Amino acid sequence: MNKLLSVTKKELLHYFYSPMAYVVLWAFLLVNGFLFYVILSALSKTASPPISPLSIIFGGSFFFYLLTIVITVVITMRLGAEERKQGTFETLLTSPINDFEIVMGKFLSAFIFYLIAWLLTLIYVFIVKAYQKDLDFGPIISSYLGTLLLGMFFISIGLFASMISKNQIVSAVIATLIITMLLGITFLGFISSGITREIFQYLDLLTIMDNFSKGIVDSRNLIYLLSGTAFFIALSEKSLEARRWQ
Amino acid sequence: MIEAISLTKMYGTKKGVENISFKVDRGEIVGFLGPNGAGKTTTMRLLTGFLYPNDGDAYIEGNSIIEKPLIARKYIGYLSENNPLYEDLKVKEYLDFRGRVKGLKGKELKSRIDYVVERCEIKDVISKLTGSCSKGYRQRIGIADALINDPPILILDEPTQGLDPAQIYHTRELIKSLSVEHTVILSTHILSEVEAICSRALLIQKGNLIFDGSLEEMKNAFKKNQVLDITLLCDETKGSEILSSIKKIDKFEEVKNEGENGSSFLVYSLEGEDIREEIFWKCFEERIPILQLHERKKSLEEAFLKIISEEPKEEEVQ
Repeated sequence: MNKLLSVTKKELLHYFYSPMAYVVLWAFLLVNGFLFYVILSALSKTASPPISPLSIIFGGSFFFYLLTIVITVVITMRLGAEERKQGTFETLLTSPINDFEIVMGKFLSAFIFYLIAWLLTLIYVFIVKAYQKDLDFGPIISSYLGTLLLGMFFISIGLFASMISKNQIVSAVIATLIITMLLGITFLGFISSGITREIFQYLDLLTIMDNFSKGIVDSRNLIYLLSGTAFFIALSEKSLEARRWQ
Repeated sequence: MIEAISLTKMYGTKKGVENISFKVDRGEIVGFLGPNGAGKTTTMRLLTGFLYPNDGDAYIEGNSIIEKPLIARKYIGYLSENNPLYEDLKVKEYLDFRGRVKGLKGKELKSRIDYVVERCEIKDVISKLTGSCSKGYRQRIGIADALINDPPILILDEPTQGLDPAQIYHTRELIKSLSVEHTVILSTHILSEVEAICSRALLIQKGNLIFDGSLEEMKNAFKKNQVLDITLLCDETKGSEILSSIKKIDKFEEVKNEGENGSSFLVYSLEGEDIREEIFWKCFEERIPILQLHERKKSLEEAFLKIISEEPKEEEVQ
């Protein structure tokens, strides 16, 4: 565990020693703040909003996916690619640390960064709370939970993409491609029927996020996101082992 | 102790190293010698577990690099070829990270960092970014990293590459002083480096181990024929006549010897023959005094060049 955490610490140092962390956080908060402002203004004009305001911030809008994809891809793209390019994988992989600890340490650092970004948005909740005393916290908590789980899934994909590429841009493109394909399952659900339609609906990330924003925590959704994360973490670990056999 | 047993590594269909076996005992300082691309780095990467062999195995202090890689790696401090460092970390942070990855923590980690900083003389750069250190310091940071968990074995891949003469001297002195407590394997394509530091040489060429032994043995092993400078007190015709009558002589040529008495020759024996005695008796029979008889010793450099310019043969591999 000590070794795993030392990898996490090292990666966090990399984030915060480079301007990247601050640029990403700034852009993330800017877009989220803008969304928050738009929603509040819209809500204060109409008596009954057509859709739940939470679902606009969490998963109901194009902006949410754009932000989540950009932040997860950007924070994961250098995790493996940079080590490969600089040759530091050689010092790391010849140390008495197992591949799982390396991969999990890296995963954890990206997740902590992602967590920090979203924790900063909690300020909006407190702003709303100040004006609306009878705020229902259920959907808020489930929305954050869904966002964190989706982030874990995307981070594991980004990590895997970075582990198999030498170039950060290539890594970002691969990760974006995989995530876009997963999001595209929604449309496959529209055009298919019968059992395949049911399978596609089960894998439909848009519906899953919609559920979370409504306060529905469905165990099937949890299992899909967690097992997806585990799958890509395992692939990342295998990719390290494969390097030794190449 | 390191024991490599028929290590073979293929990169696709291209041969990395083939059937490499050797043993390095505790306290030895062994030089891996060979031209660039011969397979030195591949062998080191196999020993350190960065690559797995397609065939064969190696044991580090009795632990297989394939079956017990974590334990085997614990016993090795490795300085890889280009000594990659995390350039945006400070030297202290880098050593702290490396120590933790190798399982150190708390007071022990702190005292080991202090020790390696002292030992490798990197105190001046301890709060600098590793990326802003000079090549000489970077190399010493790499060695400090290799030393941090006090491993019994150090594997250093071209430790003096790219350094200036003063830095080369300091690095060699450091390695020599480390060899008191550690078994050291280092690779180089510079022969004088092996002569300066090592007690034993392993020669790799085109992926095969073609020689394993002491430097003295290396000189002798590749001395195929005897080369003599000889001066006889007679004219050239008589001298040629005497030399022609000795069957073990492969060829000889006349050498001008201005201002000296007699005539001089450069004589090559047949492979593996010692012709000095026979020359002496022949001249004795003919009553021709020998003014000079001197064997040309091959320098290590010559031996090395000869070895690496030859195709490896089966019997040499053994």
